[in-house]
Amino acid sequence: MFGQRGRMNRRLWTLAAIFALGGAALTARIAYVQLMHADHYRAVANNEHFGQQEVRAARGAILDRNGYPLATTVDAFDVFINRADWQSLDDARKAAATIGPLIGQKPDDLVNEVRKENKGIYLAYAGLDFAKGSTVHNTDAPGLRMVQTTKRFYPEGDLASTLLGFVGRDHSGLTGVEHDFERELGGIPGTIYFERDSIGNKLSLGAERIGQEPKAGGDIKLTIDRYIQRLVEGELEMQIAKTGALGGSIIVMAPKTGALLAVASNPGFKLSQLDLNHPDQALFRDRAVTDVYEPGSVFKTLTASMAIDLGLVTPESTYDDTGAAYIGPSTIRNWDYSVNGITSVTQILQRSLNTGAVWMSGLIGPDAFYRYMRNFGIGEATHVGLGGEPDGLVRTNTDPAWTDVDLATNAFGQGIAATPLQVITAISSIANGGKLMRPYVVQEMETPEGARAFSPVVVRQVMSQQTAATVTDMMNQVVEGNPGHLAAIKGYHVAGKTGTTTGATLADGAVHDGNVASFIGFAPVADPKMIVLVKLDFKEDRLGGQVSAPVFADLAPSILAYLGVKPDGPQLVATGP
Amino acid sequence: MAALHRPALAAPRLLRRPRTGKLMLVGAIALVIIAAGFQVNQFSRLTSTGYQINDLNKQRANREAANHALEAEVAQLSSLARVDWESRTRLHLEPAQQKLYLTVNHSVPDRQTLPTRFLPPEPALAGQAGDPLWKRLLKSLPFF
Repeated sequence: MFGQRGRMNRRLWTLAAIFALGGAALTARIAYVQLMHADHYRAVANNEHFGQQEVRAARGAILDRNGYPLATTVDAFDVFINRADWQSLDDARKAAATIGPLIGQKPDDLVNEVRKENKGIYLAYAGLDFAKGSTVHNTDAPGLRMVQTTKRFYPEGDLASTLLGFVGRDHSGLTGVEHDFERELGGIPGTIYFERDSIGNKLSLGAERIGQEPKAGGDIKLTIDRYIQRLVEGELEMQIAKTGALGGSIIVMAPKTGALLAVASNPGFKLSQLDLNHPDQALFRDRAVTDVYEPGSVFKTLTASMAIDLGLVTPESTYDDTGAAYIGPSTIRNWDYSVNGITSVTQILQRSLNTGAVWMSGLIGPDAFYRYMRNFGIGEATHVGLGGEPDGLVRTNTDPAWTDVDLATNAFGQGIAATPLQVITAISSIANGGKLMRPYVVQEMETPEGARAFSPVVVRQVMSQQTAATVTDMMNQVVEGNPGHLAAIKGYHVAGKTGTTTGATLADGAVHDGNVASFIGFAPVADPKMIVLVKLDFKEDRLGGQVSAPVFADLAPSILAYLGVKPDGPQLVATGP
Repeated sequence: MAALHRPALAAPRLLRRPRTGKLMLVGAIALVIIAAGFQVNQFSRLTSTGYQINDLNKQRANREAANHALEAEVAQLSSLARVDWESRTRLHLEPAQQKLYLTVNHSVPDRQTLPTRFLPPEPALAGQAGDPLWKRLLKSLPFF
């Protein structure tokens, strides 16, 4: 008995031990799964049961300097149709008769498009207005799927298209301000988790929870003024049509702050007719910021500034113009092949004499000349904050291939490449008492992280205030000392300089025998409030003084009046009560 | 006198014990039923409130969307292109051929920026005369 009981006990103990071991193993496994790796398995289970959908954050607005929206975001619907629900022709026709007129499609066409395939989802309309979309949604037509989305809206139409840029289908900026300030405008997308079925479709009565609330993007206030921008764009388009120019750029800047009031380029694109598959992708860039050109004679103002600032000449200093300057084997002549005899520095600018600029550069010397060039910001990006801005090209006396001819041609703006933005920034230092300002296009930002305002930045004092005043007077003599100058305007004293470059890379991207005709001017001379650069590209020879100076004369009075600048000419002013 | 009556009270208490037990049982069951009912009611309320919140959120989203659409429409109506079109077609205005500048001794009026959602928020109106008396009293306290 005992023996049997003893065996029995052993068996029982063995069985108990097996069960105990099994239980312990299961417990260990449960602890391993549920305690040590709980997060991993929870995530796996959630992935299996829950689907995830990204919720796009509302994109911020781009405003002009007075707060008028240039680009903003509105809610919209994408209208989809489930093809499987339209397999019955009668049902499809009934549904199409309801939906079609609301989305601007003929019902028969809609039915044909949807029924081309048996399965899948057909996108009937992308970005339908919210009000219309709500009406479509309320029809409850069979097969209808509405997805709420947002779309970019431009209250001012195509204004400043190349500057603003555009967004892609995923609502991220692709060019212009939309791209360059994507982080501020874009916001942070949110996430929604929903219970799904075995093939990933959302359960209609399943649980839904918000993982992360989307954070709306911030608003950006530009320095651009919609009125001036519209004025400039209209004028540029009109002048291109009138003169047969290939294209051009106009920039308006506040010289004392560096704030860009208008930036227009042509050719460009229209936001209302955006075609991302356009063969000429160059249309999407802002040429005033990204494209370089030879500035030509407008640079003589910089050469004169250097010579005066170094005390080498005064406006009355003279040289004997024989009509040619000989630099080694090269001969440089005046643009009109003129011979002027004894000529003052002021007259060099008035008559735009190449030989005079070469004479001044000889006095300045290469070391000082290129030092000043760097100080004017030529050869480096302005850091305006817009993408695609190049440094420009300048060959200095430290470069191995440099020769004396480079110095001579650089003195009248040839043999170097700069963007229109670099040129206007450099010359605005003359209008600003010798202070070079950093150009800027964003005035304020209101983002979820807080508000940020941008103040004008003085880059450096390039020349003395006295030199700047002297050169301003000389530039005034260029316009008012030449009777019948086409840049002169009634009521305001203007300072300016023309520029013409031959054999340039023009707006169509090819090197032509034609030229770039430009004019840069600022007003009023006593206290400059605006500086304007006009640059037009031609296939044939045209002079800046003939085609670009009148553009300045057309624009300046309207801009000055709009900015509230009192005319210099007292005969036009009536004092009120 | 009262002390004399105390022992006599012990016997009836013993007699009532079974009835108390039943009562307690009934009470406990009733409590469980009430608690369960309360919980069902809570769940029901929670669910219906959840649906109401969802519905209200949808309404809010719809109104916000409609608001954005209206603001965009206002912005479009105040755009320069439309102002120009209206002045030419409806008011039959023409661009000025000659400009006359007048100096007027008047400050420039504040420009109205549109749409209003881009304007800075209006300062909170604290302690308005329209508030009830108790609110104004509370607001006058130093820790409020």
